[in-house]
Amino acid sequence: MSSSYCALLTELGVIITRGDDHAVEQTFAFSEPVSDYLSIKSGNTPKSCANMKSYLESLNSTISTGDEALLGILKNESIDGHILEGQAAEDARSVKQRLMISAGLASDSNDAMTKLREFAIGLSSTRVTKISGSADLHVIQAVNSLDEVDKVANALSSRMKEWYGLHFPELENVVDSIEGYARIVLTGRRSDLTAESFEKAGFQSQKTEMLLVAASKSRGGEISDKSLEMVQSMAEQMISFYNLRRGLEEMIENEMGKIAPNLSVILGTSLSARMLARIGSMKRMATLPASTIQVIGAERALFRSLKTGSDPPKHGLLFQHPLVHAAPRWQRGKIARAIAAKAVIAVRVDVYNEDGKLNNTLFEKLNIRIGEINAKFQEPAESNTPHDSHKRDGNTRQEKAGRPQSRKKNKTTGTYREQRDYGGGSRYRGNTRKSAGGERGGERRRPEWIHKRTKASKPAIVDRYNKKRKEYGHGDDHGNYNYGNNFDGSNYGRSYDDRHNDRNSNGKPSPYNDKNKSGVKKNKKKKNPDLTRAKNRAGTHNKKKKRKNRY
Amino acid sequence: MTFTRAKISNTMTAMPASKTLTPYIWVKTEGKSRPATENLVPGNRVYGEKILVKKKTEYRTWDPFRSKLAAAIMNGLGTFPFENTAKILYLGVSTGTTASHISDIIGPSGVMFGVEHASRVARDFMDRVASRRANVIPIMQDARKPSEYFAIFGKVDIIYADIAQPDQTKIAIANCKMFLKKKGFLFLVIKTRSIDVIKNPENVIREETAKLRDGFDILESINLEPYDKDHAMVVARYNEKTVSR
Repeated sequence: MSSSYCALLTELGVIITRGDDHAVEQTFAFSEPVSDYLSIKSGNTPKSCANMKSYLESLNSTISTGDEALLGILKNESIDGHILEGQAAEDARSVKQRLMISAGLASDSNDAMTKLREFAIGLSSTRVTKISGSADLHVIQAVNSLDEVDKVANALSSRMKEWYGLHFPELENVVDSIEGYARIVLTGRRSDLTAESFEKAGFQSQKTEMLLVAASKSRGGEISDKSLEMVQSMAEQMISFYNLRRGLEEMIENEMGKIAPNLSVILGTSLSARMLARIGSMKRMATLPASTIQVIGAERALFRSLKTGSDPPKHGLLFQHPLVHAAPRWQRGKIARAIAAKAVIAVRVDVYNEDGKLNNTLFEKLNIRIGEINAKFQEPAESNTPHDSHKRDGNTRQEKAGRPQSRKKNKTTGTYREQRDYGGGSRYRGNTRKSAGGERGGERRRPEWIHKRTKASKPAIVDRYNKKRKEYGHGDDHGNYNYGNNFDGSNYGRSYDDRHNDRNSNGKPSPYNDKNKSGVKKNKKKKNPDLTRAKNRAGTHNKKKKRKNRY
Repeated sequence: MTFTRAKISNTMTAMPASKTLTPYIWVKTEGKSRPATENLVPGNRVYGEKILVKKKTEYRTWDPFRSKLAAAIMNGLGTFPFENTAKILYLGVSTGTTASHISDIIGPSGVMFGVEHASRVARDFMDRVASRRANVIPIMQDARKPSEYFAIFGKVDIIYADIAQPDQTKIAIANCKMFLKKKGFLFLVIKTRSIDVIKNPENVIREETAKLRDGFDILESINLEPYDKDHAMVVARYNEKTVSR
């Protein structure tokens, strides 16, 4: 293929080469490297390469290229082309710098490097600029500002109340809103307060009377001009905080309607904005599975569940959703799951559907599903067997899914444990069990398996610790068991060859070396049934082994 | 852009005899011995590090709590192929703390390609490091798609990978296949918590190291504690097609 032509996209222009050793035939230099390069990458021919088409046609042969986007352009121009693969692609990459010089795009290798660097900085800056302008980042900033404004306003408002309360202590008990309080502070001393000033501050006549009485009978002391001035400027700040807050809320409402109309319908604007702030970007959210959306905001409970085998959380931020919030406790998990499933579809529509229009079918389907849940689970489950929600569900989905091993029979009660869908929030199993018992009016007794689990797991760790102390002495000078430099105390990797011969200072083999690992395993043969369950639940096959430095 | 600085090799002769010949010096700050690199851009501070002048050369101290490479040095890193004129591909430069020191070390005739995908930190990297150091080429691109990299040419001597992704080892290997020369070095920072939060760090490291077995000779594996918890640095040598031990 010595006469084969090759079109190579470089950062400074398109180079047409001939033959396997890439002799330069023709060069189309970019006039604006960054934008020209980007336009090729997005499948358009830039002005500086306008002649490329006619030139390639004149060659009248198949053109190989190293770049997918360039191939796309060639195909659009109905020029025969194919992509370079394997060794050929590598060769083309390796001669890039040389080609750029011989094609006249750069004078020497230093110049090429400088130009490449300028190009890279230009292109990277363009990308940063583009991403920084995206609307979802601004919504995220607004959501976070909202939280911070609340925090600051709360702290400052209680200080303002304390201070002005020296002068007019009764006011705090009559006025609930901070904004109203601040407006009264702005009118001045309590002797300056009139019915008119209260009305101006937005109070109804009933409250105004109460306030006037309170002002006349106040137990507060005098306030100096200087102090009053300070409190009043604080009150001014409060009011401007509240204006800012309103502005932020409005903005979030509007922006979410624009960038995520479908998601906003499912979750409501403020919750979807919060979700977005937690996740980082709309794009990222669109790539998440519904199960993640369901527990976003309950990470601690989720990881605790993965670690210890306690029940996974049913809802994180989604708890704020009115449908979840208002539902009876035993329905919340199911509802949260239904909402998450629809929310994730909605956000994908919002991100990837160009026209960005609102489609109500999702919301309707969600409502239907929630109606189903309401009808089916009107009563909490019969709860002496809290682990068999699948039975109530009336199907054997778990078995169909082909993981019967995840359902271990509890020897004492003869029931199966499954993910339960009731119980409050992301609390421990023990707590939920308790409250469920309380509701039924039954006695608040921990079931036996809980007792077994807590008892069984702790001594196992302690036992192992003591055993190791006996076997391997008392560690190093500091009482540490880290003999090697690695986590496992071995010298794995660092002295790779000697690893198997590695001995501790007392001449005994390190317990964590691969060779001796079987010994450790033996001790662990007695599997803790709860840990096994946890393992299956988490879907991983790791050994449950506590880290050494936790001892 | 012109390169005006003297070569780093001058400083290597000035190094204390007790230490091996490395492109950094050891200095004492606040009672602790720390590595320091000669500042490529005198007067420029990247992340609030201490700057000190020795024999008219300016050095930037290298904080092991901020940079995992420095942490590895503190914990006895034996392989240090970073040298004058080296060509390096750095995956996950973040804000450029470690990158700036590598840029110091490789000097004006070296090249460092810095790959970063997240725009927020890439912004800082561009402001603090890439725009000031002529040997740094920023590539704002996902490290998962090495074929999409722009502005990179030829093969590199070293790939330094510090990516907080569950499939970080896979990403690093893909990059090595494409850009690392034979017998080149891979510095892989294993963030066990990014790979699997519930597994034991030691198991994660063992598994990730095992992934490198095919095609790499593993030279060192260094625990980065106390500077970084649950992190390890694995140094491996690319040994295409030979099956290592």
